Amino acid sequence: MNEREDLGSGDVLRRLLSNLNPGPSGWRTGAATILALLVALTLSSLLIAVTGGSPVASVEALFQGSMSDLTAWSSTLLYAAPLLLVAVGACVSARSGLFNIGQEGQVLIGALAAAWVGLRLAITGPLLIVVMLLAAGLAAGGWAGLSSLMYRLRGVNVVVSTLLMTFVAQQIVAYAVNTPWLLQESRIGNAIVSPQSNPLPSSALLGSIGEYPGLQINAGLIIALIAAVLIAVAISRTTWGFKITMLGRNPLAAKHAGVRVTALGGAALAVSGAFAGLAGAVLLASPVGVNRLQPGLSMNIGWDGLLVALVARNRPLAAMPVALLFGVLRSGGGFLAATGVPSFLVDVVKALLVLAFVAPPVVVALARRRRSGDRTAGARREAAPVAEEAIA
Amino acid sequence: MTIDERARELTPPTTPALRLRGISKRYGPVVASDGVDLDVHHGEIHGLLGENGAGKSTLMKILLGLVKRDSGTILRGEEPADITSPQEAVALGIGMVHQHFSLIDALTVWENVILGDTGKIDRTAACRQVEEVSRRYGLPIDPLARVDRLSAGERQRVELIKCLRRDPSVLILDEPTSVLTQAESAELFTVLRQVVRTEDRAVILISHKLAEITAATDRVTVLRKGRVVFHSETSATTPQELARQMVGRDVSLRAEGAALGLLPVDGGRPADTGTAPDTALDTAPDIETGTAPDTETGTASPAPGVVPALRLRDLTVTVDGVTALSDLSLDIAPGEILGLYGVEGNGQSVLGDLLSGLVLPTSGTVEVGGRPVELDRPGALHRAGLGIIPEDRHSSGVVLDMSIAENLVMKSLGDVSGRGFISRRKMYGIARRLAAEFNIVAPSMDTPVRSLSGGNQQRVVLARELSAGPSVLVAAQPTHGLDVGAIEDMYQRLQDAASGGVAVLLISTELEEVMALASRIAVICSGRITGVLPTGEATAERLGMLVGGVAA
Repeated sequence: MNEREDLGSGDVLRRLLSNLNPGPSGWRTGAATILALLVALTLSSLLIAVTGGSPVASVEALFQGSMSDLTAWSSTLLYAAPLLLVAVGACVSARSGLFNIGQEGQVLIGALAAAWVGLRLAITGPLLIVVMLLAAGLAAGGWAGLSSLMYRLRGVNVVVSTLLMTFVAQQIVAYAVNTPWLLQESRIGNAIVSPQSNPLPSSALLGSIGEYPGLQINAGLIIALIAAVLIAVAISRTTWGFKITMLGRNPLAAKHAGVRVTALGGAALAVSGAFAGLAGAVLLASPVGVNRLQPGLSMNIGWDGLLVALVARNRPLAAMPVALLFGVLRSGGGFLAATGVPSFLVDVVKALLVLAFVAPPVVVALARRRRSGDRTAGARREAAPVAEEAIA
Repeated sequence: MTIDERARELTPPTTPALRLRGISKRYGPVVASDGVDLDVHHGEIHGLLGENGAGKSTLMKILLGLVKRDSGTILRGEEPADITSPQEAVALGIGMVHQHFSLIDALTVWENVILGDTGKIDRTAACRQVEEVSRRYGLPIDPLARVDRLSAGERQRVELIKCLRRDPSVLILDEPTSVLTQAESAELFTVLRQVVRTEDRAVILISHKLAEITAATDRVTVLRKGRVVFHSETSATTPQELARQMVGRDVSLRAEGAALGLLPVDGGRPADTGTAPDTALDTAPDIETGTAPDTETGTASPAPGVVPALRLRDLTVTVDGVTALSDLSLDIAPGEILGLYGVEGNGQSVLGDLLSGLVLPTSGTVEVGGRPVELDRPGALHRAGLGIIPEDRHSSGVVLDMSIAENLVMKSLGDVSGRGFISRRKMYGIARRLAAEFNIVAPSMDTPVRSLSGGNQQRVVLARELSAGPSVLVAAQPTHGLDVGAIEDMYQRLQDAASGGVAVLLISTELEEVMALASRIAVICSGRITGVLPTGEATAERLGMLVGGVAA
């Protein structure tokens, strides 16, 4: 391949990940997933028991922190919203065959842009939050677009560049909140200033939608749900979605059919970044945090959102319940620490769950390939480059 | 009848080297092998003939332990053999040369040959062994050469050496000549003769080419739909009989004959009524050469005054520093089928990629209908009216994991969409119409193309390309891997397209195909056109010379 047909995500990776894209999965994958989930839960219980906790008490604590009452539900939903936004973006890029894994940084860049707009621009009224969201999307979209540019100009692998740009983004945010003329909080008297921005004005915050006793439905969640539906429709019903799918499934055929491969791929990457940026703005402006820009604001939402998309197999609608599940694990995880179980175990449980969802389709596909002695020409062609790369 | 044929007839029947009894294998509802019996004797070449999908490959994979049989027994000599892995097959002295080379390009010949051996690597010993095998069988090869520098014929030799080094008593060759020139094929069969005659090995030759089977084998078995339908001494049968057995009905059409690897014989063309063929060298002055455009006159060109539908001018393509096409020029008139014939790997696939918009030429132009095409614009060739059936349909022809409907409309999304939204109704409407028109057999239009047969996949590509109303149709190896029915269908479609005024460029490595369809034949060798001649003047000999680059 003299042309860069793999769009910089690496051919092997693309092929493996393409097994995650929606397709004829069949009962085998379903059965394997259930089996894998059981294994994951068993392993998790074992792990908790080994570290001195009680599995039953842990599940109870998880439940209490996330779903036991409306307050717990509110907190779960607050986490679910940015997770879903990141996941929706990840669906777009993964569908186009590009693997953007820099959401964590894109979240931060989005939050940075939103904070700057919210604190530095003299916009009043509800327009402010709208401009903040737009700025966050544009900034993070552009940030992700840089990776596409690097690929186009120098052939830098997109997976690598999006990942590494995360660390750059972290440094930029740290710099911004440590630099008085940028976004560091103003000194009041002789108080020590922290590396954080001033709190956002109340007009820059995302409020609750509707009045329910005890339950908060934040505007961020509505935005995320709308985004998921919009993208789901765009992917399945529009020419843009059609081309994205074609590009992801077979870049050569897409090019042959007249798709502007690099431009479309770059756009997909930018869109995925923009959604991560929106997630950053939502994190900043919703009551999930302290409504200040802080270096730790992203709270691994970028990474987790990526996992949500993986588990949902790049389907925006399926990402909704998965984002909820991850929200449960987050809000319940904090509670879990109270039972004496180290809260990092939640991360381990999360990882096991992700594996349980992600591994079966790949394993089933590989097994099918191995089992069928009568390989089609297509299967052989697919297997060949993998073998070549393995040898090289 | 030669002396050793007679001698063999007189020898009492010995125990066959290999006996298969009642071998059956199903894949779900598909019966790939249905109670197959096969005896292979020492000292003979046994032809295994059948269409694609007749079960030849499955049978051999069972023999090699790559596929587990459902029932049946294999007898190696007198001993029942339970072959469950390729290692066991090797231990039993069964070796196979696969149709697709399983060599690693970046490694040298000797490295490829010892690949899979265990223990310490002894380069000197390995090289010596390669040389020894190569000398014994007349397969000249440099053990230190890198495989990616070798021609297809040389690679075939490496595969053979790899196999023969293990000293197999049963040697299986799967479609061994698909990448060879006629001369190389002839050499291969000489080696096989020697292997059989002087060393008393048994050879199974798998092929769908009748000419090859009749010329090279001693005994022939025909498979159809997984079953043995015919078995005979090769000398006691005729190509026509074999064709009939293979397809299951009488074969008379020239297209079918070509599909089966028979040169046209029905005298319908001047080629066949001509007198004894001159040698290619005698007629060389008649042959237009690509390097001397000023001689481009006479029958080798389309009629003067007609604007060629497709005009390739001085196309040069360099891939990774290697010149794949050099100064290639061709004109194709509306309504004509031009066959571009050559041995695989002489630039055809790069030309196909170029005409698919996947590769840009280093220099040169492509004109469709007299207008130059801006090749660097995505989809420009399609818009200019050039349709293409790519050589490797899986890589750029279809998106395997998208549905039939989606694959049918993917190049003309504008026709099925409004304001950026795709109208499913329109998409399925077009898809159903095309499926009916082109006989695409599938459970529904939502079926992923991956689950279609090769013939149906190819029809999807053809339907899409022809439905755009092209003025030029490029068909690169359009019948590779298709069964006879599908090949016939493809030939008919190409001829219909041409008679409808479409200029057809048929890129093919099958001489019979080119001879049967094309009105002019251009020969490509090492990325340049070595000659263009009307089919009427083309003989296998002349083409053979051009293919070898003689007139270049």
